[in-house]
Amino acid sequence: MFLNYLPLLLHCSSPPAFYFICYIYIYNKLSYIVYVIYLLHHCLFLSGNIYIIYTYIMSNSNSRVTVLSKLTTVSSRPVGPDHTHSFTALDHAMGLHSLHIIFYFKDNILNDFDLDHSRVSLSETLSLYPQVTGRLTRDENGNWAVKCNDAGVRVVKALVGTTLDEWLSSADMLEEKDLTVWDDMPDDPSTWSPFRVQVSEFEGGGLAIGLSCTHMHADPTSATILLNSWTQVHRRQPITHPPFYSPPKLHLRPVTNLQTQSATFYETKSKQPMQCTVQMASATFRFSHATIKQLLLEIHEKCPDATPFDVLAALFWSRVARLKAGKNNDQRRSLTVCVDFRKLLRPPLPVGYYGNALHFSQLSLGSEEMEGCGLGHVAERLHHHMSRIEEEEEILSAMEWLESRKDEETGKLAAPFRMYGPELTCVNMEHMIVKSGPTGNEYTAMFDEDAGPVHVSYNVGNVEGEGLIMVMPGPEEGLGRTVTVTLPSKQLGELCEDEAVLGLHPKLLLSGRH
Amino acid sequence: MPPILPDFSNSVKLKYVKLGYQYLVNHIIYLTLIPVMLGILIEVLRLGPDEILKLWKSLHFDLVQILCSSFLIIFIATVYFMSKPRTVFLVDYACYKPPVTCRVPFSTFMEHSRLILSNNPKSVEFQMRILERSGLGEETCLPPAIHYIPPTPTMEAARGEAELVIFSAMDSLFKKTGLKPKDIDILIVNCSLFSPTPSLSAMVINKYKLRSNIKSFNLSGMGCSAGLISIDLARDLLQVHPNSNAVVVSTEIITPNYYQGNERAMLLPNCLFRMGGAAILISNRRSERRRAKYRLVHVVRTHKGADDKAYRCVFEEEDKDGKVGISLSKDLMAIAGEALKSNITTIGPLVLPASEQLLFLLTLIGRKIFNPKWKPYIPDFKQAFEHFCIHAGGRAVIDELQKNLQLSAEHCEASRMTLHRFGNTSSSSLWYEMNYIESKGRMKKGDRIWQIAFGSGFKCNSAVWKCNRSIKTPVDGPWADCIDRYPVHIPEVVKL
Repeated sequence: MFLNYLPLLLHCSSPPAFYFICYIYIYNKLSYIVYVIYLLHHCLFLSGNIYIIYTYIMSNSNSRVTVLSKLTTVSSRPVGPDHTHSFTALDHAMGLHSLHIIFYFKDNILNDFDLDHSRVSLSETLSLYPQVTGRLTRDENGNWAVKCNDAGVRVVKALVGTTLDEWLSSADMLEEKDLTVWDDMPDDPSTWSPFRVQVSEFEGGGLAIGLSCTHMHADPTSATILLNSWTQVHRRQPITHPPFYSPPKLHLRPVTNLQTQSATFYETKSKQPMQCTVQMASATFRFSHATIKQLLLEIHEKCPDATPFDVLAALFWSRVARLKAGKNNDQRRSLTVCVDFRKLLRPPLPVGYYGNALHFSQLSLGSEEMEGCGLGHVAERLHHHMSRIEEEEEILSAMEWLESRKDEETGKLAAPFRMYGPELTCVNMEHMIVKSGPTGNEYTAMFDEDAGPVHVSYNVGNVEGEGLIMVMPGPEEGLGRTVTVTLPSKQLGELCEDEAVLGLHPKLLLSGRH
Repeated sequence: MPPILPDFSNSVKLKYVKLGYQYLVNHIIYLTLIPVMLGILIEVLRLGPDEILKLWKSLHFDLVQILCSSFLIIFIATVYFMSKPRTVFLVDYACYKPPVTCRVPFSTFMEHSRLILSNNPKSVEFQMRILERSGLGEETCLPPAIHYIPPTPTMEAARGEAELVIFSAMDSLFKKTGLKPKDIDILIVNCSLFSPTPSLSAMVINKYKLRSNIKSFNLSGMGCSAGLISIDLARDLLQVHPNSNAVVVSTEIITPNYYQGNERAMLLPNCLFRMGGAAILISNRRSERRRAKYRLVHVVRTHKGADDKAYRCVFEEEDKDGKVGISLSKDLMAIAGEALKSNITTIGPLVLPASEQLLFLLTLIGRKIFNPKWKPYIPDFKQAFEHFCIHAGGRAVIDELQKNLQLSAEHCEASRMTLHRFGNTSSSSLWYEMNYIESKGRMKKGDRIWQIAFGSGFKCNSAVWKCNRSIKTPVDGPWADCIDRYPVHIPEVVKL
């Protein structure tokens, strides 16, 4: 009888079928035991398959980016001995986050990176920034500092298996991570490079330069200025924003003021518990000059001098708040606004100030106010809030509060807390437009005269929570803006289908959908 | 308080005695000639012009006699000029300056070491200790392939480095001397550890489209002293070929020889060897006599390979993991000292002034006949040479030679500063040192330079050059942008 089944056995290709046939055969004899063995094996086989599929997904084996090589680039002039750069309290407070900027260029401007002129210009630029080539270490108080030991930055070369346009339309946040060296700081950072540059080439031309760093070292402005300086050195132009290293004039105030709103806000923020991580996704909306102009005209009577940031932040805030509205209908809606305060201090800090110069503040509105009074009202409230927080007092008091969190004996600063989020945060990057000449705009981080970057992405690490909205200038001059929204995946999906947003005909980039 | 003054006056007396002795012995011929000339002059004056005329008329000169004597004189003069070895000139040379992107500061080197040898913290510690005491600076350079994590020493990368170094040096040489590639008659390339097929000399001929009847040589495997071996070869060839130009390229290609294992004796070269190269134009043409910088006086080569210990002291072999590296034995310094003594014994009689040789001879006779316990007299080479270029093989080598030859710190300055700025660039380090002396403006006409190089095998080679014309600063070369910072004080141990 077994012989009848033999051809079937020999022909069947999968173990479950094999076992099934054996099972039928031995059914009369040892059916029960065989059945159990069969089930066990089948389950293991299936779960084995599932495991393989799981690792297949998780290891991104179908990732479109292949890393080719990794090397270290050093500065062109040696740093002197015993040079240490210590971080301010604000720098420490940003310690939980990391910053990742990607510049997308249409033409491949760096050929043969090994010995190319661009690597020489990178070395030249790095000699102006000894902190960038140093390594993190603890100083005598136990706080983080940079030992400027001239060790260099890591530069990674990679290839992307798709064209630039295809990437911009179809990649999502997870894939964009592949274009930067997104490492977390290890326990012993003495051999870890805090700044990492990745140069990725697209098929058919196109280049992405990704810069990653810890947020302790630099805020988005500093990092962009660093990349800008690289291109200016490459084109043998004088650097418009040379690095400036003194900390803000905080230390000159004899009487500190910790009773302001900002200090209280920061206090509340520091006490917030860490939220469990939720899967985030991001999308980028590009609004043209004409659209923004139209929008500003529409709200002109409610808010005559609204800036594009005001109106876009108001728009996205109201739409996102609506999406979350399902649960608690009568809660107050709040938005944390983050601004760069280089120009807000008296006297203003130079744009080239190296370090963190961000100020967070919160604006709350009642849900009826948001829903009922329309976009113009929200924009007006936002505008009012922005002009109020621009007072130096608030900013300095926030800094003083951060300074005051140190342990009296050792001088060690308290542990950092999450600054971007977990509540909904909106970052104003409009200051990247510096109207001081043709090379002021961040989009003029060009290597060649006409090949400006097609797009610039800013990603911040560790912003899981309610979400992050970043308003940046658009590629052309004028009122056009690019808004990157990071939200929990489901909410983002709904936002991308929101009529109010789509009504402005934005161009959708890097959202992972076609 | 011990009395210092009598000692001082004693040493001053000794100094003057020594000086007097040297002047006497070195210029003995002049000192004996002058009284003889004075005597003749007095005799002539005493005799008066009439007496001299009478003396002249009394000599009967036959035409045959005159012809024979003049023929003899001409014959002797011809034989002398024909058998004289051709003078060999060094017209000019160019050293390779690596780009700033190849710079390797200590921290980068140690970081890469830690990342690559993560399983062997002891080896990393060893490398750190070596680097701290090495005498290298923060501006030495490694080729691009070594900057990768992990390093990518492919053959293509090695060829790339060879092309970069050799072609840059040769372009620089062509620019400096105005030499046309078609005028090169002899080409000698020496690179010890990288020897591809076709050879590096073929690579140069291909790049610059040199003549098809060029005499090209590629010396490989001869270690750090191969530079002077090439110069010796060029000199010998130029004796045979009149009116010729020879280009000598000395370099060391680091890429394929970066040791990636854990054996300590083999990690040492990683810490010391750096990228560098030099191209030298040697000629025996009379037209170059005016603008040549140096004249080659002597080349002395000593080989201690007959001794087994000397043969094995720098040995390329596989470690227990199968990785190839160059292991340096612990008695390297002792063997180097021996080789140096041997070399000095040969070169001494050629270069030392008569006073030193006499003293050495007397001490030697005294030791043999009277008392073997007499200290051997170490001749004072500072009297024979103005400048010393000691191969920058490492701090220990320079210290050893300074002690053996009793040189001052200023004499060894060129070697130490080259080690600090460029590292151990193997056969080309002598040319960087020479360039340092020129850039400092210390090279004057008539100065004699002694180049000493050590190499695996174990070899000790010396070359003696005489400066043909004073060299004015600023000198265009690898030291042009940093010469003002030198000399620097190099601490015994750099804290990493």
